[in-house]
Amino acid sequence: MFNGFSHSVIGQSHVLRNLVCQDSSSHEVNENYAVAVVADGHGSKKHFRSHIGSASAVEATLETIAKFYKDPDDFEEKFLRDSRLVTRSIEKQILCVWNDKIMKHLEENPITREERGPFTLDEFDKIPPASYYGTTLIVAVMGKNFSFGFQIGDGSLVAVYDDGETVMPIEDDESAPANVTASICNSNAIGLFKMFRIDSRPLLALFTSTDGLYTSFGSDNDFLDYHTIIASQLPDIETFEPSIVKNMTKRTHFGTEDDISFSCAYNKDLVAEKAQVLVDKVAENKQKAAERKAKLLNRM
Amino acid sequence: MSNKNNKSAQESVKENTRASSLLDFDDDDPLGATAVSKKSLVIFFLIDTSGSMKGKKMGELNTVMEELIPEIRRVGEADTDVKIAVLTFSTDIAWMYSIPISIEEFEWSRLEASGVTSMGAAFQELSARMSRNSFLNSPSLSFAPVIFLMTDGYPSDDYREGLKALQSNSWYKFGLKAALGIGNEANDEMLAEFTGSKDTVVHAYSGGQLAQMIKVVAVTASQIGSKSMTLSDETNKELTEEDVMTAKQKMLGQQIQELVKQDDSNDVSFDTGW
Repeated sequence: MFNGFSHSVIGQSHVLRNLVCQDSSSHEVNENYAVAVVADGHGSKKHFRSHIGSASAVEATLETIAKFYKDPDDFEEKFLRDSRLVTRSIEKQILCVWNDKIMKHLEENPITREERGPFTLDEFDKIPPASYYGTTLIVAVMGKNFSFGFQIGDGSLVAVYDDGETVMPIEDDESAPANVTASICNSNAIGLFKMFRIDSRPLLALFTSTDGLYTSFGSDNDFLDYHTIIASQLPDIETFEPSIVKNMTKRTHFGTEDDISFSCAYNKDLVAEKAQVLVDKVAENKQKAAERKAKLLNRM
Repeated sequence: MSNKNNKSAQESVKENTRASSLLDFDDDDPLGATAVSKKSLVIFFLIDTSGSMKGKKMGELNTVMEELIPEIRRVGEADTDVKIAVLTFSTDIAWMYSIPISIEEFEWSRLEASGVTSMGAAFQELSARMSRNSFLNSPSLSFAPVIFLMTDGYPSDDYREGLKALQSNSWYKFGLKAALGIGNEANDEMLAEFTGSKDTVVHAYSGGQLAQMIKVVAVTASQIGSKSMTLSDETNKELTEEDVMTAKQKMLGQQIQELVKQDDSNDVSFDTGW
């Protein structure tokens, strides 16, 4: 019933500066649910182990979702009764598992002289150890009777409905370039998660991506149309996947040069059934994009 | 079934990286219908079109702005998509285009002057439009905006109310601000209130100076505005985004003042000959 895919590509700026990819991504598919998860390690000076942090966040998420879904009927019943409470419990559990993972990593891999080098003693002492591993986290879960997702920090969640409508179910906050993203390493992290739940309309696919993807687009419309095009190709994803990776590489090369991670969970049966609806929607979107461009150049 | 991508992603990325010289990005990309956007920057021009600008001042301003567009185009062509938004203010306020337009597609509409100077209303309008929900909604927006005010006189409305609205806008706070006073009537103190510093206020008393100052300020501000600055300084101390924007504003002031000192225009003053 379910399927998925996930990819991460290193940012062009990281390639040029000989840095590692700070992003991580994964997906998991089984008979009860599909998960698409991405994480964007902060990568700045005090977050010097954020590539480990993002990988740990992705692992913590898959382990936690699996644990909650151990008894699928019981989980679904509890979720439908109080989705906010259950989602909050999942988020708390992910934070705990992530903290355990990074603390274990720190214990097994003490801070090196090179890592400490850029800081004075006083500066280094002021950095909470969790900050070394700071990362965002964006998660989408597609179940049999409902879907949900949550995120902390920058990044995007996109849902494609069975009529081809494509939306971002979590509203973006007003932010200027100077604003700092929320992080899983913040002491108040649990209060910084945003979530959504969809159970009213059939969903074809859920996508998660780190902000390197979103910022390579000129408009929200283009960003959403991109997901509709990919959704239209899901019936033949094995053939199409190399094109997605190539396009992600192109986007970081010519766009904002950031790492890009992209993950998808989808309903294989429904996608096959609605293949023509999606193809028609892509054609409609293309027409609307041309109309928007013509309108854009009208003077006041 | 799960598939984790980090180390494995880095390995595959290395493949991508190695292959990048072989990748032909111009080939038929099935996802090419949604174009890749470069990092983008919006330059706001706030232009006084009140009656006192009538004649040579407005004529010169129109000519300079037409000449300026190709120069700004060169600033952005490397890796930044520069967008332009022009707000004029006289008795009424008006945008030249309904949204910021990419410099590649921007065409200057010649302006005419009449009426009073509703600068406060222009500030209010600018504040309302400098939002993720309005003019600054492009996902690829990577830099704080450049805001360039040009006026030849004192506001006829309560500009302080408008300025108060602007000062609470985070885009304004982090934006690069510059102002040009045209002729003897322009009040540099008030312009410094707008920019936050006297260093980013210049004055033109003649047609030659007007052309030079507009070019100096607009091109310098665009160059600095679209510069990706590192978040650590030479002492390797980590800087906040606020530090970076403060450093950019300071750099703009210094560069403008240096260029202004080189002013060699020697033509007739607006207020004597024109």
